Amino acid sequence: MKHWKPVWLIALNFVREQRWPILVLQLSLLGLAALGLLADVQRDRDDMLLMFKQLGMYGVAFSVFFGGSAIYNERRSRRILAVLGKAITRRDYLSGLLLGVALAAGLFCFVLGFTGTWTLGGVGFSVPYLWYLMICVLVACVLAASVALFYSTYLNPWMSALLTGLTLAVPGIVAFQFGERWGYILPVYNLMRVFIQASFEHRAISGGWAILVALVETVALWLAASWVFGRIDVAVAVD
Amino acid sequence: MSAVLEFQDIHKDYRSLFGRRAVRALDHFTLQVEAGEIFGFLGPNGAGKTTAIHLAMGFVRPTSGRGLMFGKRLGHAATRRRVGFLAENVALYHRPAETLVRFYGALNGLTGEALSRRTREALGAVGLMQESSRNVAKFSRGMLQRIGLAQAIVHDPDLLILDEPTSALDPLARFAVRELLLDWRRRGKTIFLSSHLLSEVELVCDRIAVLNQGRLVRLGRPSDLLESREQFEIVAQGIPSDSIPNAHKEAGDRVYFQVGAQEQRSLIERVWSLGGEVVSVSPHKRSLEDLFLELTRDGSSTKAAPEAAKERA
Repeated sequence: MKHWKPVWLIALNFVREQRWPILVLQLSLLGLAALGLLADVQRDRDDMLLMFKQLGMYGVAFSVFFGGSAIYNERRSRRILAVLGKAITRRDYLSGLLLGVALAAGLFCFVLGFTGTWTLGGVGFSVPYLWYLMICVLVACVLAASVALFYSTYLNPWMSALLTGLTLAVPGIVAFQFGERWGYILPVYNLMRVFIQASFEHRAISGGWAILVALVETVALWLAASWVFGRIDVAVAVD
Repeated sequence: MSAVLEFQDIHKDYRSLFGRRAVRALDHFTLQVEAGEIFGFLGPNGAGKTTAIHLAMGFVRPTSGRGLMFGKRLGHAATRRRVGFLAENVALYHRPAETLVRFYGALNGLTGEALSRRTREALGAVGLMQESSRNVAKFSRGMLQRIGLAQAIVHDPDLLILDEPTSALDPLARFAVRELLLDWRRRGKTIFLSSHLLSEVELVCDRIAVLNQGRLVRLGRPSDLLESREQFEIVAQGIPSDSIPNAHKEAGDRVYFQVGAQEQRSLIERVWSLGGEVVSVSPHKRSLEDLFLELTRDGSSTKAAPEAAKERA
C-alpha cells in the first residue's frame, strides 16, 4: 500500500506535465462533437460513427506517443534525477508513468464516450454498448502504451514508437491472414476490431478474452520494462 | 565513527551503443564517508565526481566493485529516504515553490501536518519563504539552486549529497548555505559536498578527497593535506638577510626563508654557523588551490591515493 502513494503522485505529475496536449485533445473531441451536432445528425449518422471510430484510433496513437516519450523527456530534462533521488524504486517510477498514461487515455476515452453518447446516442447507437467500446479502446490504449514504455526504457521516442507500431501491427497482420486467435499474441488489434466493427445495428458484446489477455500482457510488459529500466544508467545523457 | 557511504574498488566505464568505445569514469575508486562529517569532493571537470555521486544515488551502476550506503547496497530505494540529493544542474518541475517542495517531500513518504511543517521549514532554511507561491519557472538560477536544496532537505535526511550546491549563488546566499551546512553538521548529519569553490571547501570540510581522471589522488584532513612535506618555512634571527638565498627580513631582525626538505638541515646549520638562531621550522602551508592545481594540472600527479600515501610515507 505504501508504494501506491508515490506511484499515484508520479502519475498525477505526468498528467500535469502533459496537460496541454491532453487538454487540446479533449477540446478537439468536444469541438468535433459540437460540429457534428450542427450537421443533419440523422442523415450523417454513419459519417459521425466513422469519425468516432477514427478518433478512437487516434487515442491508441496518442497513448503510444505518451508512453514512448515519457522516460525520454524526463531523462533529457534531468528532472528524473530529483524524482529517483527519493525513496522510489524504478518499478514504482514506471508504474507511475504507466498509470499516468492510463489516466490520460482514460480521460480521452471518457470524453470520447461522453461526446459519443451526446451525438451517436441521440441517433440510435446503443449507449451501454458505446461505453463497452470505450473500455475496449482504453484497454488497447494501455496495452499499446505499455509496449511503447517497454521500448522507451532503452530507445528514443521515435524508435520506440516505430517498434511499437511494428509490434502492434504484426499480430494484426498474422490474425488477418491466419485467423483471429493469432491476434491474442498482443490483442490491440482484436480490441480495436471490436471497436471498428461497431455499427448502429451491432450490439453484441464481444472481446472479453481480448480484454483479459491485454490486462495480463500489460502487467507482463510493465514487469519486463521495470527489469530493463532497473539496469539502465538513467543519469547518462540521452541525446 | 561508522561509514555512511562507502565505495569499494569501483570501476565505471561508459560504453557507446554497441560497446566499441569505452570511457573509464572511475578507476579503482575506494572511499569512505564517515557519519557526522562534511566531506569535500574535489576534482577538475570530467574527473568522475558526478559519476561517483550518481553511483551513490543508484542512478548508474558500477562496471565492477560495490558500494554501500548506510550498510545497504548503493541504489537501495528505501535507504534513499535517509538521503537528500541536489544535482549539479538543478532541473525541477515548473510549479509554485511550496507545491514543488511538498511534491518531493510526499515522494519521500511525508504526509499531513509533518509534510506542511517540513515544507515551510525547508523553504525558510533556504530563504525562499517569501517566494513560496511563485512558480519556479520564473526563478533565477541562484533561486533554483536554493529551491533544489529545499527539496533535498525537506524530509530531514541524515546524509546530504550535494553536487555543486553554491555554484550559482551570490556571496550572501553562499554564506547562508555554508551556515546551513555547518548547522547540519552540528545536528550530527553527514554532508558529501562536491564543489569547485575551493575556499568554501577549505572553510567547511572536515575531510577532502581529490579525484583526477577517475582516480582518487588525495584524501585527508585539509590541515594535513595543505601542509607541504617538501617545503619548510624557517624563521631565524641574528643573521643578515642576504646571507641566505631568497630570504627576506620582516618584523624586527627576523629573517624568513623557504627551503626544500633536502636542504633544510644544511640551511639550519648555516644559520648556526653565521652565529644566528633558528626561531622556528614549520611545514609550508599551501592553499587548497595550490594543492588542487598540483594534483590535477598534469597527468603525472594522478597516482591513486594509496600509492601517493605510500610515497609520502
